[in-house]
Amino acid sequence: MSTSVEGRAVPASPSRRLPGDMAMWFFILAELSVFGVLILTFAVTQMLYPEPFRESRRVLDGSIGLALTLSLLTAGLLAALAVERVRRDRPRQAAWLLLAGLLSAGVYVALKLGEYGHLLGLGLDMEAGTFFTLYWILTGFHFLHVLLGMAILAWMAGRCRRRAYRPDSCSGLESGVLYWHMVDLVWVLLFPLVYVLN
Amino acid sequence: MSASKVLFGCWLGLAAFSVATVSLGHAGGARTLGVLVLLLALGKAWLIADGFMELRHAPRLWRGLLLGWPLAMTAGIWLTL
Repeated sequence: MSTSVEGRAVPASPSRRLPGDMAMWFFILAELSVFGVLILTFAVTQMLYPEPFRESRRVLDGSIGLALTLSLLTAGLLAALAVERVRRDRPRQAAWLLLAGLLSAGVYVALKLGEYGHLLGLGLDMEAGTFFTLYWILTGFHFLHVLLGMAILAWMAGRCRRRAYRPDSCSGLESGVLYWHMVDLVWVLLFPLVYVLN
Repeated sequence: MSASKVLFGCWLGLAAFSVATVSLGHAGGARTLGVLVLLLALGKAWLIADGFMELRHAPRLWRGLLLGWPLAMTAGIWLTL
């Protein structure tokens, strides 16, 4: 287990190291707990009202769901590569990778806003049945996390450009990127539940 | 294998599992397909946790907690199918 001392990652043992700050891991656990309640609420409600959920899901486009997934996961890959570049003392390359990740996340935002606009155009807002109430709460809450994650990626890209992270002092970068991976982790459960499973 | 190659490998696996998820969704709504979709989701969560979040090298407690979350979610969803 590792802790952060004045911004420096200190491994507790040479073989097993927890990247990032310990506070971020507790924050991730708290976030996953909240999302867990929402995901299970969606699943249980679907079990109680299978037909309305099946009908409502037909409005959603699985291809858009796939594109949303790939854009988030690509941003996750680029952010993870950025950490790897900083560890090899190449912060400028890390900055470009984080900006590319930001661009990929931007694709998610554009597609999601398009989907939201399409649903609102059909009159399918939060009050259009149980499915859409839970859809808007669950995906809207996740969408806000994506926006916060993008702000963190942009901030870290700026710090990489200024060479603020060093190979032996990058726990802040690791923590920010872990937050993005948490957003991805939630999505890979949320995506099949909302878009695919009947 | 270099760290970059491991990360690219994880991304390829995640992309392949995502495409398979949508294909299974188009194949119908049978319970068996639903279980397969959940197994794919569990596989993706494992790739993110162990690959991107580097938990394969982390203390067992934290790895267990982070891998336990998708396991609990997929088990919960499976019970409602």
